[in-house]
Amino acid sequence: MNSRFFYDLIALALFSAVIVLGVPALMGYDGFELNTFARYLSLAIVSMALALSWGTAGLLNLGQAATFGMGAYAMAMHLKLRASDGLPDFMGWNNVEKLPAVWVPFESLSFTLLAGLLVPAAVGGLIAIFMFRARIAGVFVAVITLAFLVAFQLLVIEQQGLTGGQNGLTGLAPLTLFGWTVDTYSASFYYLVAGCLTVALALGVYLSHSKFGLILRAIREDAERTRFFGYNVATYQTVIFCISAALAGWAGMLYVLVLEFASPTYMGVSFSLAIVIWCAVGGRESVLAAAAGAIIVNVLEGRLSDVFVEGWHMLLGIVFVLVVMFMPRGIYGVIVDVVHKINEARRGGRQNAAEEALLPATIQTNRER
Amino acid sequence: MKRRQFLGRAGAFGAAGMASSLSAPALLSSTRAAFAQGDDIPVGVLFSLTGAVAVVEHTLHDATLLAIEEINAAGGIHGKQLRPIIEDPASDPATYADRARRLMIRDKCVSVFGSYTSASRQAVLPVTEQRNNLYWYPTLYEGRECSRNVMYGGAVPNQQQDDLIPWAIENFGPRFYLIGNNYVYPKEENNYCKSLLSKLGGEVVHEEYVPLGHSDFSSAINRIRAEEPDVIFATVVGDSDVAFARQYHAAELDPAKMPVISLTRSEVEVKAIGGEAAAGHFSSAPYFMGHDTPENERFVENYKARFGADEVTHFVSEAAYFQVYQFKAALEKLDPSEITPAAIRDAAVGLTLNAPQGEVLIDENLHTHLWPKIGQWQSDGQAKVLIQSKERVAPKPYAAYEGQTCTSQGLVKA
Repeated sequence: MNSRFFYDLIALALFSAVIVLGVPALMGYDGFELNTFARYLSLAIVSMALALSWGTAGLLNLGQAATFGMGAYAMAMHLKLRASDGLPDFMGWNNVEKLPAVWVPFESLSFTLLAGLLVPAAVGGLIAIFMFRARIAGVFVAVITLAFLVAFQLLVIEQQGLTGGQNGLTGLAPLTLFGWTVDTYSASFYYLVAGCLTVALALGVYLSHSKFGLILRAIREDAERTRFFGYNVATYQTVIFCISAALAGWAGMLYVLVLEFASPTYMGVSFSLAIVIWCAVGGRESVLAAAAGAIIVNVLEGRLSDVFVEGWHMLLGIVFVLVVMFMPRGIYGVIVDVVHKINEARRGGRQNAAEEALLPATIQTNRER
Repeated sequence: MKRRQFLGRAGAFGAAGMASSLSAPALLSSTRAAFAQGDDIPVGVLFSLTGAVAVVEHTLHDATLLAIEEINAAGGIHGKQLRPIIEDPASDPATYADRARRLMIRDKCVSVFGSYTSASRQAVLPVTEQRNNLYWYPTLYEGRECSRNVMYGGAVPNQQQDDLIPWAIENFGPRFYLIGNNYVYPKEENNYCKSLLSKLGGEVVHEEYVPLGHSDFSSAINRIRAEEPDVIFATVVGDSDVAFARQYHAAELDPAKMPVISLTRSEVEVKAIGGEAAAGHFSSAPYFMGHDTPENERFVENYKARFGADEVTHFVSEAAYFQVYQFKAALEKLDPSEITPAAIRDAAVGLTLNAPQGEVLIDENLHTHLWPKIGQWQSDGQAKVLIQSKERVAPKPYAAYEGQTCTSQGLVKA
């Protein structure tokens, strides 16, 4: 175990302690505040999922909202079937006579949970195979995923009989999990979401420090070189894309539970770009920082909008511009720099060649981008 | 009044920005009070001030605030002032859901006034129903909803079409071209229109749906030219409608021969279209700005005085305005100690009120009895009211579906 892995584990433990123990206590176990925070935590999962593909492997996925939306719709379809006896109401409005075949298996909760993870993973994987086999990289990955997102959202809006169109899926039943009916304003639901985030983060921390993660970082820095070492670059990229998509789907399922409806705006460009912003503010090189970024930005947004009803969008915009200008690596970058400076001062000129060489190099390549 | 009133939190937001706000417990505490037990009555105002639908929703926001200010200036209700708590849901359904939770759970509002689109209303419904709160929705909509927690102030299909369709057939002919945006509202209106046409011997020559926000109508206009229908029945909304009207005018199609009859075009859209291009076409609505009643004269005068002489009132902002007065009338029937959203709803049923459009009544199904009118747009951007329904028309949100009725017990299926 290297020291960075050790620091990350400590940070993970602290982070989990704060969200599982700290937050509910601070908020006095108030149902409304817990519900609001559960929403932020589910968004933290999609932000850390982006950090995995963007920060670790250098693949900027602007279509993250599409896979998030797939998870959201999978859960919403299940809950809609639970809420309606017979045909869901919006199908009647669209003159659909009988339950479409794709809806039928969503009667089952286990199928829904699997589909919420595997459908986004499969779709993400398919796009990834086409992109990475063709050795598409850099800004073109962003363009292709963004185009997919726009096309997918249009499709969802267009297929009203299947998806509820512009209004999305509303009037959902509460989820029943092993006989427990989920009350989204309860502490137990909050713990469920916090637990999911912790598991997702543990997975993310493990992945980034595994050999797999090391190769991904190598690909990020120089894909050609990694390929010459004999690694199948496209396969590594595809796998991380799938994992990231599945995590986004997971976040989408939780998000529907919190908000109690699914809307095509979950697959909107602005939502997808918001994920990128959270990730950038926190710091894309660390899944923990990306998750924290999502929580911080959303808390900030909530509080700002509470005080400045009309100006909050602009204030938030100013914050983002400042972050990009002065903290290009996000909050994580600031922390790493500070820690680095402290260590340097303490050593007082003594050289630790390996670490010294590694850190500035990373900073430089990231600045160039 | 543009800013939230409890600025006590203002100092705290800076701390949230500094680091994670997790370390600032004061921020996270919530206000706890029973409904309206304080010196004032908290009400939520939830219209988008930014984003895609802000142009229309801002006028609804203004009309709601105007009514609240008027009521407060006249001494409030039971001697208590209304305290509007304003939120900006930024035209985004998820933000609507979030802000509605804030208003209904944290701020303990006894009612929330909000929404223009159906999508945003449905985003607010889960928390409204679960908390048994009351949502005052001023917009015309597609019907087929029967919530016991929403006060529907706008028209449903039967109230806009029952007079309109026979009138249009009689004056222009039976061949209808249906054009609308591709979502549930136009589809439902067209479903109802088709059922009326089949009873009256009319026919649909073509039915067309364009995506929301669509702005190129050249192919639709070519088809209209080729089909030569007697009437264009339009349920195109917002920017799409502005583009459609302008291109229709530019194509030199004559409103005297092929008029556009719209359910959605109001003074706001006509202001954007321009009076010249809109002139000669028709809209069906319960209210037009030029309607001649003392209540409307006062409403328009106060609205212009408060928000500017160029501003227009329209059939949704009128409902946003009179719904606040319905709320006031309901509260006045209640004992100040027993104000809850459910009590307000029960007190509101059966209330009559002299609204700018005429005397409106709240049905037991929580929709509103209205006065349908047909107006013809003039080049000054105002509508001339040609026909006003002889009697107040009852709302039938399930009119197109036999055997289903919205009643005081919710939806009943025969």
